Amino acid sequence: MNRLKIFPVLALFGLIALSAACAQMKALPNLPATHPEELAEGPVSCSECHEDQQKGTLKPYAAFNHTRIFIQNHRFYASTDNTTLCATCHKVSFCADCHTNKTVIKPAEMLSDRPDRMAPHRGDFLTMHKIEGKLDPESCYRCHGRANNGRCVACHR
Amino acid sequence: MKKMLYRLFPSLLVLALPAAALAETTVSSTSIMRFRQNDLPGFDKKTMVPVTEFVGLDATKLADGNLSAHIYGWGQVELADRDSNDTKTDGNLTYGYLQYRFKSANAQAKAGRFFVNEGILNEQVDGVGARTDLPYGFAISGFGGATVHTTSIPYAGNDGKGDGIWGGRMSYRYAGKLEVGLAGVYESTAPMPKTSPTLPTAFGDHRLIGYDLYLNPHPMLQLSGQTSYNPTTEHIAENSYLLQLRPLKDLAVGATWEEHHDRDYFFDSLLFSNMVRNLSQQSHSLGATATYTFKVAEVSADFKHYTRDIGKAERFGGEVRSNSLFNNTVRAGVSYHYLRSSGDFAIVPASDASGSFHEIRGWAMRDTKTYFASGDVIAYVFKEKVDNKDAAWEGTASVGYHITPQLAVSGDISYGQNPDYNDELKGLIRVTYNFTAKGGSK
Repeated sequence: MNRLKIFPVLALFGLIALSAACAQMKALPNLPATHPEELAEGPVSCSECHEDQQKGTLKPYAAFNHTRIFIQNHRFYASTDNTTLCATCHKVSFCADCHTNKTVIKPAEMLSDRPDRMAPHRGDFLTMHKIEGKLDPESCYRCHGRANNGRCVACHR
Repeated sequence: MKKMLYRLFPSLLVLALPAAALAETTVSSTSIMRFRQNDLPGFDKKTMVPVTEFVGLDATKLADGNLSAHIYGWGQVELADRDSNDTKTDGNLTYGYLQYRFKSANAQAKAGRFFVNEGILNEQVDGVGARTDLPYGFAISGFGGATVHTTSIPYAGNDGKGDGIWGGRMSYRYAGKLEVGLAGVYESTAPMPKTSPTLPTAFGDHRLIGYDLYLNPHPMLQLSGQTSYNPTTEHIAENSYLLQLRPLKDLAVGATWEEHHDRDYFFDSLLFSNMVRNLSQQSHSLGATATYTFKVAEVSADFKHYTRDIGKAERFGGEVRSNSLFNNTVRAGVSYHYLRSSGDFAIVPASDASGSFHEIRGWAMRDTKTYFASGDVIAYVFKEKVDNKDAAWEGTASVGYHITPQLAVSGDISYGQNPDYNDELKGLIRVTYNFTAKGGSK
């Protein structure tokens, strides 16, 4: 009986909390949908322009400078900021050049006119993957693990 | 029901496309025609000319200005002989979704086929998803729908994926200095393979929970990483962490630590779970990279030590690259790495074999308003011969012309030698078209 009485009170409290949260959410700013200025091709240093513009819960722009360390470990950044900060400069198709569920052409070949992009599987990777795959199969799994690419399946049965 | 949803969302997207005429629309198209000829002893001579078309469309500012449509996919047709691994025609919708961006809190909702990359989650879904920031530094995201199925494993008769999937992530941020996220995914019961060499307990449902961490207590120090746990096997699947130091404005030093338990990490992959028998369970790696950015070049050195059940290995080397030579029209780089590994990592493991090799690469590219060109050479020099070959190398030259700022045509030719081929000559013609149209005002 007591439980029945307390439920409307809790529901009312929840509703008030939800309303208050919704009202506060209107004050939370959006990141822009696209970068307001066109950027040059190649890796960028966000902190060149954004050094002192960190606001609210936004991470420091310097953390997103596209150094080799950033590019090698971009998954840590993409996993928390891809739909907001990353998306202001990169279309999803940029990511899909390498990260896709069904590949038709290896990224390094698709982007052979852009050797500056660190596209994987460069050169004779058919031979090299027999060594790299034993060494670091987890890095293979991140893209191919649940994709069952036709070419993988041809040999890995 | 799930199959209906699978078709419904992309159909909705196609129906919404006429509205794109009023929107700001970007179309990107890349057509690639490749040429390859195989002439192997004992096999018929084959000429392969696959033509692949990648098409993307982004229509923004639809409806009230906050709705957008995004499609990307490819189709391929083989004009000559079919490769034994390929079909004559093939295609794939990589993603296709409608997105609504709310006016505050970075809130957005999606419907269609899209990727989910949230914390420990990497999924592709035919369904719906949404995310928003919440007051006091919290944020929440969720998704649900039908699994995007892929190529079936021949012996299994399926792709090892359940039909439905849902999940989400909750996170908390404090002043851009701390972020902690908790995420989880639940996929419906995985179909069991009809016949399988997989160990009976090695493969199962795709269910994962875990947390991700970002810590930036000082501008010079940053820690990020994630840990995932497989509730089915009741074990940690992955620990991956990156510690970055920035002692100087232009100097960054990164240290990585990764640990994987492959029976737990590969558990949801029909393809990979089968490999655990050969790879065993434990894998650790420790790595370090230092990068210094000069005015015109970035110089980096890296080292990584691998410890697996089957043996140990280490890779070290460096790279110099520049993105701003000759008034920012030339980019170039050279790199060298050496992998020192035991015979256990060799292509054919044996006591006198070696998995060690040198990797040497050099590249340069120039892009002007009229033409663009690039050259790229990579060589893997084996410590011990592989199939009687000392090295595998490939050189690629590419030349292109901007017919208009939106339209470009380019051609590549590459030649190499490797353990599989005495000579490997490949050609490629590429046509790229990128067009943005701004629709009528609203």
